[in-house]
Amino acid sequence: MNKLDKQFGEMMKGIRIDAPSSDFTVKVMSRIQAEAAVQQRHLLQDYQPVISKKTWIILFIAFVLLMVYITVSGTEPASGTGTGFWSAISGSVDKLRMEEVSSIWQKGMGIFSSVPSIAYLILTASLALWTLDSFLARFKHQASELHVN
Amino acid sequence: MNKTEDQYYIDAVRKGNVQAFSYLVEKYQKLVYTLALKLLKKPEDAEEMAQDTFIKAYQKIDTYEGKSKFSTWLYSITYNGCISELRKRRIEFKSLDDRQISDQDEQKMHDYYRETKKEDQEKYLNLALERLPEDDQVLVTLYYYENQSMDEISLISGLTVSNVKIKIHRARKKMHELLHEMLHEEIYSLL
Repeated sequence: MNKLDKQFGEMMKGIRIDAPSSDFTVKVMSRIQAEAAVQQRHLLQDYQPVISKKTWIILFIAFVLLMVYITVSGTEPASGTGTGFWSAISGSVDKLRMEEVSSIWQKGMGIFSSVPSIAYLILTASLALWTLDSFLARFKHQASELHVN
Repeated sequence: MNKTEDQYYIDAVRKGNVQAFSYLVEKYQKLVYTLALKLLKKPEDAEEMAQDTFIKAYQKIDTYEGKSKFSTWLYSITYNGCISELRKRRIEFKSLDDRQISDQDEQKMHDYYRETKKEDQEKYLNLALERLPEDDQVLVTLYYYENQSMDEISLISGLTVSNVKIKIHRARKKMHELLHEMLHEEIYSLL
């Protein structure tokens, strides 16, 4: 920048800078808030659950089939003398000497004790995924509301 | 420091803090509006263009890479928006050579001169600036008032750096000429 340019630059600092209306920021920000709300709505509409409906149906059918198979395959219900988790629970119920309750309990437990542990694993994993999926969906929704406000 | 401050708010907006954008609106609204007014002339058009500029900037904030100043990026949105608007209206800029100072304008300048003499050079300065072609007014404002470099102005306007240099040089010469006409020898006592 030469001397003349510099002098001209100093002089130019005196030019008038116009200002928009006093509520300019408010107007712009209200348009931006509306824009953000629209963007957020699209984000929620585009949200894909971790597990799709199709997968849930397949999982459910697989579980039902497994249960049917176990029931039809003729496995005798355990009478409380078996080993394992459910047997341990039924054993402890016996100790309470509640004969009627314990007989109903044992019947119920007998069915469960015949179910292989893999079925419990599938059920637990599915429930865990479903809980995580619902939590993520709710968290995303809450986060979007916070950002818009 | 300025860039860091801007970057802080830009990052906040990107993370979803919409309200952080109001800092950038407050900071740059005058210059954005001034540039739009110089090109579009009507205050209501300039205000609408300034609003649209900030909305576009918000929508495209993820595309701002930080290679240039945020102001440079913002002014380029303003400039391009105004040029598109003027193209729609089929208004073309006249070059300095095409433009003739009308007798009416000259009389206005003399009136100002008689009224204010040395006391109000700002009026002469703004009057001289207004006599320049619209795009030259923007280039001169960006270069001398906003201290944007030739490279940055090239980014904003889409003109080559050498073209920007030539245009600013010619605009400065023209403004001197106009001021000389208005103030005769008095302007040179100021410099």
